[in-house]
Amino acid sequence: MAEQVMTQAPGNVWKVLVKEGDSVAAGDTLFILEVMKTEVPHEAEGAGTITKLHIAEEDAVDVGQLAVEID
Amino acid sequence: MLEIIKPGLETSIQDFPGRIGYWNQGFPPSGPMDSWSFRLGNILVGNDAGAPGLEAQFMGPTIKLQSDSVIAITGANMAPKLDGEEIPMWQSVAVKAGQTLIMGPALKGARGYLAVAGGIDAPSWLGSASTFHKASVGGLDGNAIKAGQVLPVKAGKGQAGQGQPGRRVKEACRPQFASDKKWQIEAVAGPNDDWIDAAGHAQFLATEWKLEARSDRTGYRLDGPDWTFTEKATNKPPENGEFPSNIVDQGYPLGAINLCGQKPIILVNDGPSMGGFIVPYTVPSAAFWKLGQIKPNEFLCFNQVSVEEAQRLRIELDDMCTEASIES
Amino acid sequence: MIFDEPNFSPGGDRYITVEFGNELSLELNFMAQGLAGALEEAGTKGLVESAPCFASLLVHYEPRDISYGDMVSELRSLCASLGSTDEIELDSRLFTFETLYLDPWTKECIDDYREKINPDKEYDPDFVARLNGLEDRHQLVRVHSGSEYWVASLGFWPGLPFLQPLDPRAMITCPKYNPPRTWTPQGTVGMGGSASAIYPVATPGGYQLFGRTPVPIWDTGKRFDVFDGDIVLFRPGDRIKFQPVIREAYDDAERKIADGSYIYNIIEYQKFSVRNYKNWIDKLDRNERF
Repeated sequence: MAEQVMTQAPGNVWKVLVKEGDSVAAGDTLFILEVMKTEVPHEAEGAGTITKLHIAEEDAVDVGQLAVEID
Repeated sequence: MLEIIKPGLETSIQDFPGRIGYWNQGFPPSGPMDSWSFRLGNILVGNDAGAPGLEAQFMGPTIKLQSDSVIAITGANMAPKLDGEEIPMWQSVAVKAGQTLIMGPALKGARGYLAVAGGIDAPSWLGSASTFHKASVGGLDGNAIKAGQVLPVKAGKGQAGQGQPGRRVKEACRPQFASDKKWQIEAVAGPNDDWIDAAGHAQFLATEWKLEARSDRTGYRLDGPDWTFTEKATNKPPENGEFPSNIVDQGYPLGAINLCGQKPIILVNDGPSMGGFIVPYTVPSAAFWKLGQIKPNEFLCFNQVSVEEAQRLRIELDDMCTEASIES
Repeated sequence: MIFDEPNFSPGGDRYITVEFGNELSLELNFMAQGLAGALEEAGTKGLVESAPCFASLLVHYEPRDISYGDMVSELRSLCASLGSTDEIELDSRLFTFETLYLDPWTKECIDDYREKINPDKEYDPDFVARLNGLEDRHQLVRVHSGSEYWVASLGFWPGLPFLQPLDPRAMITCPKYNPPRTWTPQGTVGMGGSASAIYPVATPGGYQLFGRTPVPIWDTGKRFDVFDGDIVLFRPGDRIKFQPVIREAYDDAERKIADGSYIYNIIEYQKFSVRNYKNWIDKLDRNERF
């Protein structure tokens, strides 16, 4: 089942830990935002394969932006 | 009692007007950044306008309510849900023991406020329950709330409106957030406005300053062009410092637009009380609520106002934070 | 330069900056603290608080109770009634703090900085001694500890006191770390520019480090009565003497602080007289060093 991972806060993309094609398990950290000098990790809800990455390190993002698609 | 299931992003106990009277020891007032939303939330549930409540930043908390009560959520829209059902904002809402409140990511604005009838029962540190976590002072243990903590709530005082659900803030009395990512922010010239030349002043007022993501309650970093200076900035005794914006260390007013080198940083609620950089403009207190709701990468456009005009705006705001703004 | 007349500027809707000059001189700080004292005594309606800094006073007022213009008039008239700086007398407590100069913890901190940030950083006491034409680090200790230090202001970090040496023979200077350190041990005694400081808690920082005191200047645990219900020990106008001690005495003080039996050394019966101070420094040969 397709999962859409949205950004949970506005900030900067600090680290992207996956690339398209990677397999992930539920709970794996996909990327980390920097918000107010704090790290905000974003995890996969379910297991799957990364089909699309919409963000890159150092991007400025808004909240509610589509960041990663998993299938 | 509020049981914290998920703390959100640096959610903290704050009260208004915060910690006052200790500026000469380096304590900023702390308190809520958007005191308009904060105070109205308290009034909705029948509290004194300044009673201790929670400030949530960008990502709200998940809280299990351990007793029957009345709450209100104001400020940024964090799509609050009670046991999975959306509840209205800007309105007092009855809650029952065992229910779970979820405040999610703020889609518009940045800071949401939770008021509970009676107010949060947090100890007073130097006259205020406001959290100043940089120095571990205030709140329950000097820091943002943590998962597993239980926040005690004071018993209601039997005031008019105490714990009555269904009270609402009139639409016209709610703060209006900028819809196009551009915020008009008032600024009063001074104290060090005479360090900036005419071109520098014109540029400050004409620029759309971008809020950097690394901004937080200690300082709001603005991205924009370089400033230009008068002779006062370059012809000064060497102990002032080497940059044109360096000055012999001075006290900073709350809301100071502090020019660190060429980087303007607005000193907000948890900011430093003194330092060695000039303050060409100061954001007046009536405009702080806007600072509390601007998101990173949105823009600030400054309008110069006089001291008197700024004072008038504050009185208007204070008049708004009263029972007169409530309807049932 | 000391301004002929203080300069008054607004800070937003509820602050006023009173500037006495644009240089670093104790005279300007005495004026700022003199005005702070006069304001408190006058009990002006609308005054919320004031905070002195090196050469200025920040005044916080309530505009509903007093207008900007009226507050400036009040400040002007208080400045005039202060008379010349020589007339100023301030209640001033004197604290004596056991201090282990050239201690192992600041050495460890400096070594860590050398390893992680700048391998060329010279051991701070040697560096500062050399910059100021002193014989060696031991003379630095004699010179630094030989003077009383004046609390000119508190801030930047809550409880962090900015100290100016009262004895002109202890006036030395040094640059700050560039880039700054990411940590400093709590209780470190250091110096940047011409100001000395004690780090109230472990924080990042940029001052050159000389020594360490075990005596708490920050008390959130309400452990010591001398704090009088406050979290911060110092007030502007206090004075501090750093008393060089050996390691055994440092450890003894630390033990007593841990078990709560430590007794602070505070003298509270003195008034600081600017006139007496000026007469004294006029008699000194500023080229002498301890």
